[in-house]
Amino acid sequence: MIHPPPNDIPLLQNEAFAARSPSSLTILWREIVRDKIALVSLVFIVIVTAFVYITSLVLDQEQIVRVDLFALNKAPSAEHWLGTDYGGRDIFGQLIIGTRNSLTIAFLVTMLTGIIGISIGVISGYFGGMIDNFFMRVVDFFLILPFLMIVIAFIAVVPKYSIYSFTLIMTAFLWMGIARLIRSKALQERELDYIKASRTVGTSHAGIIFKHVLPNLSSIIIVSMTLNLAANIGLESGLSFLGFGFPEDTPSLGTLVSYARNAQTLESRPWIWLPASSLILVLMLSINNVGQALKRAADARQRRG
Amino acid sequence: MQNELLTIQHLTTSFKIEDHYYAAVDEVSLSVKPNEVVAIVGESGSGKSALAFSIMGLHARAKSEGSIAFEGYNLNSLGPNELNKLRGKHIGMIFQDPLSALNPLMTVGDQIQEALILHQPNMSKKERKRKVIELLNSVGILQPDVIASSYPHELSGGMRQRIVISIAIANEPKLLIADEPTTALDATIQLQILDLIRKLKDDIGAGIILITHDIGVVAEMADRVAVMYGGQIVEIADIHTLLSDPRHPYTRSLLRSIPSADTPKTKLYSIQGVVPSLKHLPRQGCRFRFRIPWIGESSHEENPQMHELSPGHFVRCTCYQNFWFPGEEDIQNGAS
Repeated sequence: MIHPPPNDIPLLQNEAFAARSPSSLTILWREIVRDKIALVSLVFIVIVTAFVYITSLVLDQEQIVRVDLFALNKAPSAEHWLGTDYGGRDIFGQLIIGTRNSLTIAFLVTMLTGIIGISIGVISGYFGGMIDNFFMRVVDFFLILPFLMIVIAFIAVVPKYSIYSFTLIMTAFLWMGIARLIRSKALQERELDYIKASRTVGTSHAGIIFKHVLPNLSSIIIVSMTLNLAANIGLESGLSFLGFGFPEDTPSLGTLVSYARNAQTLESRPWIWLPASSLILVLMLSINNVGQALKRAADARQRRG
Repeated sequence: MQNELLTIQHLTTSFKIEDHYYAAVDEVSLSVKPNEVVAIVGESGSGKSALAFSIMGLHARAKSEGSIAFEGYNLNSLGPNELNKLRGKHIGMIFQDPLSALNPLMTVGDQIQEALILHQPNMSKKERKRKVIELLNSVGILQPDVIASSYPHELSGGMRQRIVISIAIANEPKLLIADEPTTALDATIQLQILDLIRKLKDDIGAGIILITHDIGVVAEMADRVAVMYGGQIVEIADIHTLLSDPRHPYTRSLLRSIPSADTPKTKLYSIQGVVPSLKHLPRQGCRFRFRIPWIGESSHEENPQMHELSPGHFVRCTCYQNFWFPGEEDIQNGAS
C-alpha cells in the first residue's frame, strides 16, 4: 500500500475547519431536494406562478370577459383552447387571469395576516401580563365573530367590490391563528437565558424582539405562512363558489368552479369547471407538500436530508 | 476604608402568586467594594439568583423595594432606558448555563459585538472586529478569528462559558455578577474559568458578586461571603472567619455537608427537609428553625436580627448560641 504523502494532512485539517454548519437556507433546500414530491411540487408552483403572471400581462381582461353571443358554451377548439362558458367567454383566458387573481389574493392575505399576526403575537408573548391579556381578548373577540356571515353582509354593502377590498375583509378575520401560534412560541422564547443575557448587556426590548426573538421563530413563521397560503387559496375559491366571491367580470378560480352549480354544465360541459378545479387541487396539494418539507426542515428530529 | 462600589440597602423583591406578594429577597443589605469578590451561598431556592436579577433589574412583574446604590444611581428607581445604559456598560453578568445564555442563531462574534454596538456606538466596524478578537484572546480562546464566526452549538461548554464571560466584560464593567458561573462545567474547566474570572478581576479592577452553592468555589475565590436562607442573609463574614468560625446553624450545616477527601465513605451530613417554597416560607421568627427541630423554640429570637460578633461578622438570630448537631448530644450534655 502506498500511503498518501504527508503534505496532504494540513489540507485535510483545513477542510475540517472549512466545514461550517449548514445555514438554515441550506437545510431548507436540502430537505426539499431530498423529498422528491416536494421538489416536483415546488417546480410546479414556480412554473404555474411564473406562467400565469407573465401571460396575464399580455392578455386583455376586458376582451376575455366580454360576452360573445356567437360562441356560447363551445367545446375546446383551436380558437378557444379550453372552450367557452355560457357567455361565450374564453375559459383558458379566464383560467389564467383567475389563477393570477386567486394567487394574488392568497398571497396578499397571507402576507397581511402574517404581518398583523406576528406583530401582535410577538408583542403579547414577549411582554406578557396585561398586554398579553388585552391582545388575547381581542383575538378571542375576533374568533367568535361569524366570519362567513360578515363576509356575505360585507359583499352586500360594498358597492365596488375588488381584489383589494376582498383581501382586507379576509385579512380582518384570518390573523388570529398565527397571532396565537407566535404568541405561544414567544412566551417560551422569552424565558430562555439568552434573552435575559441580552438584557444584561443593555439591549432594548425592540432590539431583543428583532435580533433574538424573531430570528429564532423564523422557521415556524415560514412554515405556518406556507401552509396558510394553501388554505387561503382554498378559502377564496370556496367563497367564490358559494357566490360570495367576485362578480363575473373579475375571473377567479372560484368563479370558474362555481359555473358547475349549473347541472347541465356539470354534466356535459366539463371543460368549463374541470381545469380550474384540478388546478386548485394540484396547487393546494403542491403548496402543502412544500410546506410539509419546510416543516420537517424546521424540526431536526424529522429531517430526512 | 475604600469607597463602596455597590451598596444594597433593605432590598425586598416580591413576586405575585395568586394575588399575594411573597418576598423572595427579604430585607437584604450588602455592599461590594471595587476589586472585591463577595460570594453569596445558599441552597437552591434561597434567593441567590433572585437577588442577582434584582440588582440587574431583570425581574418582570416583581415588586422591588429598598435601594441599590451604584455609581451615584439608585438602580431600583431607574427607568428602563437609564438601566439599559448602565447594564452591559458598568454592570456585566455571567450566566449559569452558557448554552442557553447564547442565541443559537447568531455567531458568537456578533453576540459579543452586540454589547459593543450598544455602548460604544462610535466604534468603527474594523475596531469592533479587532476588539472582539482581543476579547476572545483575553478569555483564553485559541484561534479567535475562527471562533468568532462560529455558532454556539459548535463550541464546547468551557468555550461557551468563556464567550459568555467575554460578552460580560466587553465594556470593562465595574461590577460583575456571576450567577453560578461554573455549575454547568466539569471540574477541570471550572478551575480554568475561576482562574480566568480572577485574572479579569485583577485586570479591570471590577467588584464581583459570585453566586454559587459550591463552598469549594467560595473558598477559592471570595473575599467575603454572605450566606442566604429563605431570602435573607443569615450570616456574613470575611472568608477566613466564615470557614474557620461559622456561627449560624445554616452555615455550619452547609459546611458540614461538604464531602471531604480525608474521610471517605462516611455518611455525609444532610440538612433535614427542603427549602420551603416561596409561598410556604415561614415569615415569622427564625426561618431556619423548622429544619433544626431539635433546637428548642426558646433559643430562637422572635424577630431575628443581625448580631455583630466581630467587626464585619454578622449572624442572624440567637439560635447559633445553643446550636448542636444531632449525635453531638453527649458533648452538649457533658458541657452543661
